[in-house]
Amino acid sequence: MKNPFEAFHQAGARKREIPLDKILKSKEETLSKILAGYEDLLKNEAKDLVWLMQYSTVIKAYSIAEKGMEGLEYTAEDIEEFCFALDHSDQIPYLITGPAGVYISVLCNHAKEEEICLHLQDLNVKINLLGYRLPANKKLIVEGNVGDFTGIGLDGGELIIEGSGKNYTGAGMKRGKIVIRHNLGFNTGHGMTGGELIVGGRIKGLGKIVGGKVYERDQLIFPTDGIKPFYT
Amino acid sequence: MEIEDIIQKLWSGVRKKHLYPQLPLPTVIEGGEDVALEIKSKQLAISSAFYEKLKGKMDGEEIVEAVLDHGITHYMYCPWDFHTHITLYNEAKKVVRQKDQAQRATSYFMDVVTDTYCVKEKDTKIATLYKNLPKTGVHEVLAALYEKIWGEDLGTGGHEELVNRLSRIPYLERKRWRESIRKFTEVIQGILEKEVANEQQSSQREPNPMGEHSLENYSLEEIDRGLREFASAVEELQEFKETVEDLKEELEGKGYSAGGMGRGKGNAIDANLLYYMKLAESYTLPIRKLPIEKRGYLHPHAHKPWEIGKPFADIDLWTSFGKIIPGITQIWTKREGETHGEFEGTPDCLIIIDSSGSMINPREKLSYAVLGAICACNAYLKHESRAAVYNFSDALRGNKVVLEFNHDKERIYQAICRYFGGGTALDPDDITYLLSCAKKPDIFIITDMQITNLEKLIDFFKKIENRVTAVHLGTNVHTARFKEGTEKRKNISLFNVKNKEDIPKIVLGKVKEYLTSPSEGR
Repeated sequence: MKNPFEAFHQAGARKREIPLDKILKSKEETLSKILAGYEDLLKNEAKDLVWLMQYSTVIKAYSIAEKGMEGLEYTAEDIEEFCFALDHSDQIPYLITGPAGVYISVLCNHAKEEEICLHLQDLNVKINLLGYRLPANKKLIVEGNVGDFTGIGLDGGELIIEGSGKNYTGAGMKRGKIVIRHNLGFNTGHGMTGGELIVGGRIKGLGKIVGGKVYERDQLIFPTDGIKPFYT
Repeated sequence: MEIEDIIQKLWSGVRKKHLYPQLPLPTVIEGGEDVALEIKSKQLAISSAFYEKLKGKMDGEEIVEAVLDHGITHYMYCPWDFHTHITLYNEAKKVVRQKDQAQRATSYFMDVVTDTYCVKEKDTKIATLYKNLPKTGVHEVLAALYEKIWGEDLGTGGHEELVNRLSRIPYLERKRWRESIRKFTEVIQGILEKEVANEQQSSQREPNPMGEHSLENYSLEEIDRGLREFASAVEELQEFKETVEDLKEELEGKGYSAGGMGRGKGNAIDANLLYYMKLAESYTLPIRKLPIEKRGYLHPHAHKPWEIGKPFADIDLWTSFGKIIPGITQIWTKREGETHGEFEGTPDCLIIIDSSGSMINPREKLSYAVLGAICACNAYLKHESRAAVYNFSDALRGNKVVLEFNHDKERIYQAICRYFGGGTALDPDDITYLLSCAKKPDIFIITDMQITNLEKLIDFFKKIENRVTAVHLGTNVHTARFKEGTEKRKNISLFNVKNKEDIPKIVLGKVKEYLTSPSEGR
């Protein structure tokens, strides 16, 4: 009997591998490695889904994250992809913005590129601790709003936030520059010892600042006659 | 003409390659030399001027085949249907917020998907075609992207940062297209802004060489189906409203209107109404007819213009000049004949809807009360019964709509969707009047029961014999009082809804139960 679907047999079939397949495959592989590193960090640092934001816990998390991503090859786009995976993907068991921010900071600080731009304006969550310890010769641009503790311990890098931040931005920064296009919350620059914090919008409140300069809408607001450095 | 011969020669092979799409033989149009293809209601038309311009650079057959591959793949793969098209547009619009830019982004995205699919899955000359096309602005970036993701030399390059980001999008994963177009639009947003600004200055639009993707590509039926699917898929009423408002001119230009298709430009589209209309179409309720005297079988009663979506079987060919065209074709409307004895029939229905301040404004958020009312109303209208609407807030102060029994869906929907806000008081005289206009109609009431003259309503319902389905939101003292007051009445069914989101389900389920088995009403 004649096959009635004979005309369809092999019709138009060609199917070849194109570079897009390789790009996507390698992207997926890198993302899984990054995700695995993040999960390891959570296993070590947030066993009970609780993570206390303390000076010592941040330092510890940073060193665990650094070890976890040793030898990992990635680009700025992979970091961005990871941020969106944190927000949308079901691959992530849970999102704790503190360790996530530390982990992203490690990725940025060890990236090959000197300038990294993260397009995070569509992100639903506001990630904390972005730009932590950003070293000299690194520029991190974030499009979108960020959470608390942005740019803390900044170590000579340049952090530009094309949006608003929350509380404790620039806390403990040593040197470098943080530019915030819109507004900031309370305790801005708390414990900062150097560098510049330039805010395009309004600052709800300054922390106890030791050194450095803070600008609000092109006006130097620290140090001024009214607000002097805080010495413990 | 050479190009026509080439189309004739290649068509069967190209159809086979694309697994025999149901498309007519492509035609040739004079067209401009910058645009290769035009698609109108599934008819592909290749521009002869474009062909002539490119003929010196590549083989004529290759040009035609590549253009056909592109056109057919739009039909067979992306966007595939109108629903996918507007879904992609809706996602792009979320990023750029401008209609023009969102349309362009959608168009470019669909081209990238289509051409990449062809290059990967089919034996095609699309890459050669792109090599010979002029590359400026966004087309230069897209050509650079093609070079990277197809591995072909198209004689361009550059735009490394943009191309790096664009090349990471999974274009061939249909399930991720919504997420993909958002990312795509975000990356090319800067170029789109420049493109639009340049065109505003020079007042000339740079055409897409592979053709534009407008609503012209779709038939009215496809648009209708697409909108129905889109209404069910969107998360917010505002998304639907915004998209329909954006496409309003094109939809009206094609003769699409909320009341039905094929009515011409006369009826302006009300996006809110259309939303509830399309959403309600997803639900159908069977009705068990009640014994009613003087009802019988359907017979042709009068003519009315045929609209797409109406059954072909009812078309009267003799008065339609043998043509199936909305507005020209005539359809028989049928009425049930009068017979003596007990035949089953469907009663008319009076919809009473509360639109006071405590109810959701159906024009701002999806109102499940309105949706439920429209679904119930549809169930009656489908059986050629009539529906009347009494929409009230503070009726005694004139905040009410009294619509008498009729078959006009659009008028009924408009009356249901009307929102007053403010206080809640019924005027039983209005209901008495409406009930007197039909023979023992059913009553369907949706309210939160926070009615200031609730006692009057209870007394009124106690006196009547009509079947009443009452639906209310949440539990409160008023609902308890209503339940208590009407408990003994066999003809009143009260549905207590704890969650707003349950309304369509419970109304539909209970209405179905109520309509199909009246004895199980309560």
